[in-house]
Amino acid sequence: MSTKQSTYRHVVDSFKTALGLGKNTLETSLAERVVFYVALGLTLLITLFPFYYMALASLLPESSLYSLPPTLLPQDLTLEHYRTVFSPETFPFLTYFKNSFVIATTTAGASVLVATFGAYSFARLDYRGRGVISRGVLMVYMFSGILLVVPMFQVIVWLGFVDSLASLFVTYLVQTLPVSLYMLGNYFRSIPEEIEEAAIMDGYSRLEVIFKITLPLSAPAIVAVFFFTFMIAWNEYLFASIFLQSQSVFTLPIGIEALSSSFRQVWGQIMAASLLTSVPLIVMFTYLEKFMVEGLTFGAVEG
Amino acid sequence: MVSLTRGGDRTIEEKEALLGYALIAPALLLIATVILYPVLYNVYLSFTVVPLRPDEAPQWIGLEHYYNLFGSSAFWSALRTTIVFTFFSTTLATLGGLGTALLFNRSFRGRRYIRGMVLLPYVAPLISVAFVWRFMLDPLYGIFPYVGSDVLGLYAGNIDILSNGDTAVWSVIFIDAWRYFPFAFLMLIARVQAIPGDMYEAAKIDGASKLAQFKDITLPELKYILATVFLLRWIWNFNKFADIWLLTRRVETLPIYAYQVAFANYQHGQAAAISMVLFLALIVFVLAYVAWALDW
Repeated sequence: MSTKQSTYRHVVDSFKTALGLGKNTLETSLAERVVFYVALGLTLLITLFPFYYMALASLLPESSLYSLPPTLLPQDLTLEHYRTVFSPETFPFLTYFKNSFVIATTTAGASVLVATFGAYSFARLDYRGRGVISRGVLMVYMFSGILLVVPMFQVIVWLGFVDSLASLFVTYLVQTLPVSLYMLGNYFRSIPEEIEEAAIMDGYSRLEVIFKITLPLSAPAIVAVFFFTFMIAWNEYLFASIFLQSQSVFTLPIGIEALSSSFRQVWGQIMAASLLTSVPLIVMFTYLEKFMVEGLTFGAVEG
Repeated sequence: MVSLTRGGDRTIEEKEALLGYALIAPALLLIATVILYPVLYNVYLSFTVVPLRPDEAPQWIGLEHYYNLFGSSAFWSALRTTIVFTFFSTTLATLGGLGTALLFNRSFRGRRYIRGMVLLPYVAPLISVAFVWRFMLDPLYGIFPYVGSDVLGLYAGNIDILSNGDTAVWSVIFIDAWRYFPFAFLMLIARVQAIPGDMYEAAKIDGASKLAQFKDITLPELKYILATVFLLRWIWNFNKFADIWLLTRRVETLPIYAYQVAFANYQHGQAAAISMVLFLALIVFVLAYVAWALDW
């Protein structure tokens, strides 16, 4: 490399790093690095502190939970709150957990199944009305839960579905469908069409193309959609709060809310239950993070 | 479709179209019966008095619910609260996401893991997040009132931040922004990283300041994705129910007002009218916004 070239490179690199805009952390001035790491540290503090505090409070004995100043670095920890949460006579947490798990898994599975075919249809196949259908799916984004809750309640009462998990399954399946259709549709469009055309030339039928080529190539998107629909069902509060009446069918959001409103000063148990409620989502997210992030860039998930 | 004669006579295009309809049919059928029908039924219900007993038919009263609504101060106050909540929580979450995306636009050790951690508020269950904030803001033993009042002396006494009419809405705005800024961050980071570095280099050589570069390069490059993120968050925050309801009963936005009218007062017809107004207000906003954002 000539001297002129290397000088030029050096100048460009220092411009990049001085701005913090390049992708190069070497050669950054100390002051800039301090500012960067302080900002990063603050971001993480704001983001993570509530989770630290949740874990901490779930492990603190009552005496330090209800005293001032609040404990930040624990002296002694206890599993007392977890024991209470897992003892069915005081708090049917396991029932709520099981209900939430069943409803979230079945909803996510069914949503992925129905949406895979639907999304393939409007991403790849050509027919009249296709544009209207795909735009219509986006319009449904604007029909919020609150717009549906009164008529859905009437319909569920009329069908005699009140107080059953089936009422939630139907509701959640349909509420997650637009998201699933949109995300998968965008993903399918990103797969080069030539691959599918080549397979059709080789004598594959459309359905064979879907099962043998498109679906295997879309595994990351399907995983992402499963996770996001699971998350929506796991979190849902509005419909669960009006459809469910007896404890045996409560899902986690309703159950924990009921615990909090019927007892005072049970923060330890509530924090333990909250943490346990977070576990499935955080475990799934940790394992599937790469797919999640890719999945999100293919569609926006309601929240 | 031109001809639908015997199966064997169909062209490839017709077969593709038929398969297309067959594959989309289950999704459309479900959406039509469980979303479109209830939405239309909601329009009808908003003109009726809905009896408590499900076997009695709703009684038609025309526009009465709407007249009542527009004449009630509770409605106008809920509309105002909805707009304040939506505007500030959306803006704050978008700006937070933008700031974090710019911060993450360089490589540093552990970036992938740290990005995963930043997404945590968005991924964690709503119920857990709502309760930990309630605990942290608890007037007796919460850490925030302790720091704010006892350590920093920002205010005196035990104000229940989440139950106080003046502070509740701002707490909810802040918590909502905290929960959803990772969404804006994720949508923006990919776009931020796609801005070609040469543009900044050229600007530097022309002597543009950092601020000028942000204004003349970063913002224009990001404007459509920023506009999209803002729109989506606006739609969802405008309709937000559970996030607010689980934190406090003192912030009455339109969705919460509708819920209370429906399930605390059992006036389903009146609640249907409130949700109709909510929906129409949202549509008007979205149309105006899209028209504005397109030539922005």
